[in-house]
Amino acid sequence: MSPDATLVPRLLQKDVSAFEQLYDRHSRLVYGLVLRILQQASISEEVVQEVFLQLWRNADQYDPSRGPFVPWLCTMARNRALDRLRLKSERQRRREDQPDELPSAVVAPEYEKVLDDKRRAERVRALMASLSPQQKKAIELAYFEGLSHSEIAAALEEPLGTVKSWIRNGLLRLKEGLQATS
Amino acid sequence: MKNCDQFRERTEAYALGALDPEERVALEVHLASGCPECTKAVEEARWLISQLAYTAPEAAPSDMLKGRLLQTVRAEAQSQAKPHALPSKSAIPFWLLAGVAALVVFSIYSAWNTRRLHDEIREANNRAADLVQQRQKIEQELLLAKREATILMDPGSVNIALKGSDAQGPQLKAKWHSEWGVVVMGENIPMPSPHHVLQLWFIPKAPGKMPMPSMMVRPDANGRFVLLVSSPPESMDATKALAISEEPEGGSPWPTNPPRYSGGVS
Repeated sequence: MSPDATLVPRLLQKDVSAFEQLYDRHSRLVYGLVLRILQQASISEEVVQEVFLQLWRNADQYDPSRGPFVPWLCTMARNRALDRLRLKSERQRRREDQPDELPSAVVAPEYEKVLDDKRRAERVRALMASLSPQQKKAIELAYFEGLSHSEIAAALEEPLGTVKSWIRNGLLRLKEGLQATS
Repeated sequence: MKNCDQFRERTEAYALGALDPEERVALEVHLASGCPECTKAVEEARWLISQLAYTAPEAAPSDMLKGRLLQTVRAEAQSQAKPHALPSKSAIPFWLLAGVAALVVFSIYSAWNTRRLHDEIREANNRAADLVQQRQKIEQELLLAKREATILMDPGSVNIALKGSDAQGPQLKAKWHSEWGVVVMGENIPMPSPHHVLQLWFIPKAPGKMPMPSMMVRPDANGRFVLLVSSPPESMDATKALAISEEPEGGSPWPTNPPRYSGGVS
C-alpha cells in the first residue's frame, strides 16, 4: 500500500500532520503542473492553495479502491488551473459551477505499476519525447492550454482530421509505451 | 458494439478535454446510458492523461504557501474539534456539579465578606483619622492654654488695661509676655453689630505708622472672650498701645471705625 493510501483517510479525522505529509510529497508536482498551465507564480500558488484546501475539505470524495491518489490530485489541479485560465482569457466553454467539481474516478489500468514520482516522470517524459513534434505539440496544447480539436487545428492552421489523428495516435503510443515498460 | 467502438476511439480525447461540444455531449449521453466498458475506458483514459502532469517542469511553491495552508487547516481542525471537547451535560457527575455549586456559593460569600471587611477597615481608618485629628486639635488647644496660662501667670508679663469708649462700660484686660505673646480677655462685652467682629490693633510708637491689624473675635453668649496672640505684629517696645474696634466680618487691613477699647503699653 502506498503512503498516500494511508495518509488520505486520516484527512477525514482532520489530521493536520497527514495533510502536511501529503503536501510535502506532492506540492512540487502539483505546483509545477499548475505553473506550466498558468505561467504566473502568484496565480499558480492561489490555485494550488485551492486544490489542497479542496482536498482537505473533501477528502471523502477520493476512493482509494478506485485508483491511485496522485492522478486524482493532478486531474483536480489541472481542471482548476484550466478553469482559471479560461476565466483569465474569457473563453468560458464550461459551466460556471465546474470549478467546484471534483474529478470523476481516475482508475489505474492493470498494467500500471507503483512507481515513485521521479521514475514515473522520467518514463513519461521519455515517451513524450519519442512522439512526433506535431503529436507532442497538439497534446500539449490540449493538456496545458485546454484547447479542443477545433481550436488546436485553428491555432496550428492544420486540418481538423489531422489534429485528431495526431492526438489520438500520440496518446495511443504513450499508452503502449507505458504498458511496454510496466 | 459498433456504436461503442465509435465512442471508445474518443475516450482519450474526451479525458484530455479535446473533444468539441457535439462529440463530447454524444459521448456523455452514451456514458449516461450505463455502458460499463466505455465508462471503464474513460476512467483509465483519465489516468493516462493524468500522467502528462509529469511532463511539466517540477517547481517548488513558496514556503509562505505551506504556512498559509497549515494555518488554515489547523484553524479548521481546531474549530471542528472544540464541540467534542466539552463533555455532555449527562456526562458531568452529580458530585462535580455539587462541588461547583458549593464553590460558586463560597466564592460569592467570600466576595461579600471581603467587601464587608474592606468597608469595616475603611470605617476604622476614618475613625482613627478623626481621632488623630481630634487629638491634634486638643494638643493644639492644650498648647495654647499652656501658653495662655504662662502669659497670665508669669510675673514678667505686662498688664494692659483697655478702657472702653463708654466710661461706664466694661473694661478689657491684657497681658503681654515678651516671649509668649499677648492675651486679651473681656467679660460682659456687648456683641458687635451683625456681620461685624471685634478686631485687635497694635498701635506703633513710630509717628505716622499705621495701626497693625491683628486677630478678630466675637464674644460668647455671656459676653466673654479670651484672645491669644502668639506672634504680635510689633514688639512690645515698639508698640504704643493696643486697641479694639468693630470691623466688618473677616477683618480689615486698617481701622474703619473708632476704637471701642484701647490701652497704652507701659
